[in-house]
Amino acid sequence: MEVTFKVYRKDPEKDGKPGRSNYTVELPEDATVLDGLLKIRDEMDGTLAFRASCLRGYCGECMMRVNNSARLTCTAKVSAYTKKGPEISLDPPRNVPVVKDLVFDWDAFMWNKIKTVKPWLEPTGEASDGENLIPDAAMKDLRKVMSCYYCGMCDEGCTVLPVDFNFLGPAALTKAYRFVFDPRAKDTRERLKILEQPKGIWDCVHCFEADEHCPRGIEPTKRILAIRDKAYKVGITNEKVARHHASFAASVKESGWLDEGRLALESEGLTNIKGLMKLLPTAAKALLRGKAPIPYLHAKRPGADKIKKIFEKGEGEKK
Amino acid sequence: MQEFDVLVVGGGASGLRAAIAAKHAGASVALITKVHPLRTNTAIAQGGLNAPLSKDDSPEIFAEDTLLAGDGLCDRNIARTFAQEASEDVIWLERMGVPFNRNKDGRLDLRPFGSNSRRRTCYTDDRTGHIVLQVLHEQFQRHQIPSFEEWFVTSLAVDGDSCLGVIALGLRSGRLDAFTARAIILATGGFTRMYLPSTASIGTTGDGQSLAHKAGARLMDMEMIQFHPTVFPKGQGLLITESVLGEGAEIVNDKGEAILASKAVPRHTLSVSLHEAMQNGSGAVALDLKRIGNEKLMSCFPQTAESARTVAGIDITKESVPIMPLAHRPMGGIETNLAGETTLRGLFAVGECACNGLNGAGRLAGNTLTEAVTFGRKVGEAAARYAKGAAKRNFPAGKLTDEEKRLASISGGDSSGDSPGKIHSELGKLMNERVGLVRDGAALKEALERIQGLKERYRKIRVRNPSRIYNYELTSYLELESMLNLAEIVTLAAQARTESRGAHRRADFPERDDRNWRSHTLVSLVQGTPKLNQKPVTG
Amino acid sequence: MKYAFYPGCVSRGGCPELYPSAVKVSAKLGIELEEMKDVACTGAGVLPQHISDPINARTFAKAEQLGLPIMTICSTCQGVFAQANYRLKNDSEYREKINREYLAEEGLKYKGTTEVKHLLWVLFEDYGVDKLKSMIRRPLNGLKVSPFYGCFIRRPPEAITPTKELSRRKNYLDELIEILGAELTDISGKGKCCGFPILTANEENSLAMAGKHTGEAKEKGADCMVTPCPLCHLNLDGNQPRAEAQKGEKIGLPILHLPQFLGLALGFDPDEMNLKRHIVSTRTVEAKVEMLT
Repeated sequence: MEVTFKVYRKDPEKDGKPGRSNYTVELPEDATVLDGLLKIRDEMDGTLAFRASCLRGYCGECMMRVNNSARLTCTAKVSAYTKKGPEISLDPPRNVPVVKDLVFDWDAFMWNKIKTVKPWLEPTGEASDGENLIPDAAMKDLRKVMSCYYCGMCDEGCTVLPVDFNFLGPAALTKAYRFVFDPRAKDTRERLKILEQPKGIWDCVHCFEADEHCPRGIEPTKRILAIRDKAYKVGITNEKVARHHASFAASVKESGWLDEGRLALESEGLTNIKGLMKLLPTAAKALLRGKAPIPYLHAKRPGADKIKKIFEKGEGEKK
Repeated sequence: MQEFDVLVVGGGASGLRAAIAAKHAGASVALITKVHPLRTNTAIAQGGLNAPLSKDDSPEIFAEDTLLAGDGLCDRNIARTFAQEASEDVIWLERMGVPFNRNKDGRLDLRPFGSNSRRRTCYTDDRTGHIVLQVLHEQFQRHQIPSFEEWFVTSLAVDGDSCLGVIALGLRSGRLDAFTARAIILATGGFTRMYLPSTASIGTTGDGQSLAHKAGARLMDMEMIQFHPTVFPKGQGLLITESVLGEGAEIVNDKGEAILASKAVPRHTLSVSLHEAMQNGSGAVALDLKRIGNEKLMSCFPQTAESARTVAGIDITKESVPIMPLAHRPMGGIETNLAGETTLRGLFAVGECACNGLNGAGRLAGNTLTEAVTFGRKVGEAAARYAKGAAKRNFPAGKLTDEEKRLASISGGDSSGDSPGKIHSELGKLMNERVGLVRDGAALKEALERIQGLKERYRKIRVRNPSRIYNYELTSYLELESMLNLAEIVTLAAQARTESRGAHRRADFPERDDRNWRSHTLVSLVQGTPKLNQKPVTG
Repeated sequence: MKYAFYPGCVSRGGCPELYPSAVKVSAKLGIELEEMKDVACTGAGVLPQHISDPINARTFAKAEQLGLPIMTICSTCQGVFAQANYRLKNDSEYREKINREYLAEEGLKYKGTTEVKHLLWVLFEDYGVDKLKSMIRRPLNGLKVSPFYGCFIRRPPEAITPTKELSRRKNYLDELIEILGAELTDISGKGKCCGFPILTANEENSLAMAGKHTGEAKEKGADCMVTPCPLCHLNLDGNQPRAEAQKGEKIGLPILHLPQFLGLALGFDPDEMNLKRHIVSTRTVEAKVEMLT
């Protein structure tokens, strides 16, 4: 079957401006997009730069956008695309610095971010003592998380990265989860502290794009939320977030629903004059339009005492 | 110019383990690898890694199983040492964080695999290589070892009979640079990409073996290549982990009837039986995984299910997977001793690019990953010790300029319609058909002639892309040279061994001949041509 | 058509224009609402699961007692409910544990049968598009409207769009805009995050997101944006001036709540929909609407 690939080009040795090259190739019916790229490079244009390694959907290296949707080219069947039209566009993923053509900067995109979350276990004990005795249930979840092959599709779909490239991103934070929830790791608090710093877990907007993008069902967003829940249990070290969460929990615990006015004030901190001043213009406008919930003047809901009981019980589960 | 005590070439399991061990032993270490460690071929390994951990097992029995799988070509001493040290190395992996599957007592679960006579294969679902690789990389990072990723080694720098270092091309910078080290460890992996299809990654092209050979190191047992019995043969080839056989899968004919006794059989035996079954009219042969049961399939073999679906378009809970034995991994490689020393001073080798006599004519299923960690450690330590005592040597600047000239000479110009891809395609088909699972003298002779032809065509080709930055046309051109080199050596070795032993089957010499052939095949480069020799098996 | 009405916290707090417009619109359509009074905040993704799941299970159990499905008017409430319900429905052991340890004390038990739908889904899945069309009194012709869903009403897939049919939920707002006669001004950010969840942790990013999406709509010529989530509204409308200041660019895009937008098409006047409550003036929208009358 004949197919035309419209491929993103960028040459750092020339003007570095993005362009596009079109290649029409003849490919067997069961060919993958990667087969197409390899043929182009071999027979038509040796200057085309793209990465590949395992050829079989194991290693994540060949990730790019095919018709604007991120995927691995080695498992993308050309026929699935040519059903809709004879052209296939190929672009590097979003949210990533591009080096040359389809070759992008994996270090900036992912590897360097992973390095910052202390991505290793601090081992305890000696091999000569035998293995740690652990039930399989604890290991099963880790195996699921470690089935991640660093394809970057979660980062590619993230809604925070286009706005803030320095956000650690779902891939690095999922890697961090693997250590936070490994029973053999004895440094959980230290790890949480690292993860609670700016650009870490509290910068995630839990939009669930990562869960939608992950081809392995690892659910990176849920992992980030799990780390946050753990931080809540252990004690949130990010001060502003801790104030926010404590205030939210306090008003729901006491009254059954959220006192937004109180939340806005207490998140900044009642003695944080500078922070509170920042809220003034918006608060003033809101007051004028009858939109500002007056803090602390907040009626209890029916059933609030039942909610309080649930909180007390739940908080008793703190570890 | 970069200088280190120990330089490890290759970022897969054995390279990472060696680098960690060398650093731990106090050497200044660096890793240089043409792809990021997490993209290496190790990631594809699935089944598990062996350790004689259960009560009814022992290092002695483990060694015996290894020797049996090697069909008389293993060096007993190496097997014994390996079997004794394996357990601690595997437990080390658990201590470093590998989330192995556990039994009900919380200990490492051991499953049946291949021709292991005891249950001794530790595993993480069917993603063992992928997960072990990650943990090794994690620990590699913990040791803060400098890592030159996406650097392609173009040659070894040699002075007489000792290795000075390597010259490599940085794909990102486009710069050629020299890396000197007192000890260089090659951990570059296998070479079965010379067979098409096979189970190997695109970069499994035997660069280490070819460079070492050109530099004067000896290669050993190159004719011994393991064909994996259960590989889906379309496209690039997709390996189905053999451990499914131990859990209830069956090999069936086109009527769905089980046709082979497939449990507890060495791989070469199973591959040959499969091959014969296909020849004798069983029609297409397939792997029926349905018999394992949906629940067990999904929980124990999630990777297999996913790959079968995305690569082969097959739902293993409903359909059987067509299979064929395909080239998988070599037993042979750069000749080394127990410490990983090659015949070139200062040059070490470990992992699949090396041949220390453990595997003989057939690798016991589940040994490869264990080897990577056990020998990775031993060779890393040995290299560090060597480096400590080695004198610093001069790296003549002329070597770098010579290499620049060499690379420049293969650039530019027209290839008149021929291409490395076309040559590779023909080589891959040729190796499968003539130097495949079952060989014979006439086919091997023809193969040698045709390889010569391919080499001549190769010499006429030029790399059109003049850039040095991410020039994969250049790197695949160089990789093809490695494959052509090694293809000739493999065929010569196969031609020389006039017997059948383990993975090496000769239709014209179907019996094992211990009187003449209980020896390793050695190949060295003498005045530009491969010269064959033998050395007896020890023990 | 009767629902256990769950208005959430913000519809009577920071966005008090939402509650009355939702009630008025439901009455007009003939959707009967029985407001759930003794239930608590969903947790909004802030409270950790081990506290919010029991609280939400309690809400579901109370709806079960009423024998009614729950209707929400906030994407965040909807999303949190959907995720909690997914967990409780699919893991009977987990549900039993929560019943035993938290709900039993009150004599409550969640059996796993409660359905939760946002008004937006109710319109398409229960009310019906044809019936809705018959209720339109003022087609909003010429009004250019950009949709902004709010993440929680679009993802995660297993809780929100578990079947091929329900994947349509990702397009309801776009469809509604056209059904009501308005002109759909599509934006690439319609399914992205408004920034509200990180307002505390990272104000800069939060305002950048708000500015980005409202800016895109404005650039594409939208007269206004409509959203089914009051938390999105708080950031897109309430913080629009701050987003403008950070961006260094004027935006001035009015943001409508879903019931307000619907209400205008059903014949309500802008004042009846409390449009004057917003931070970003809705005068231009009101003017256009007045012309249509």
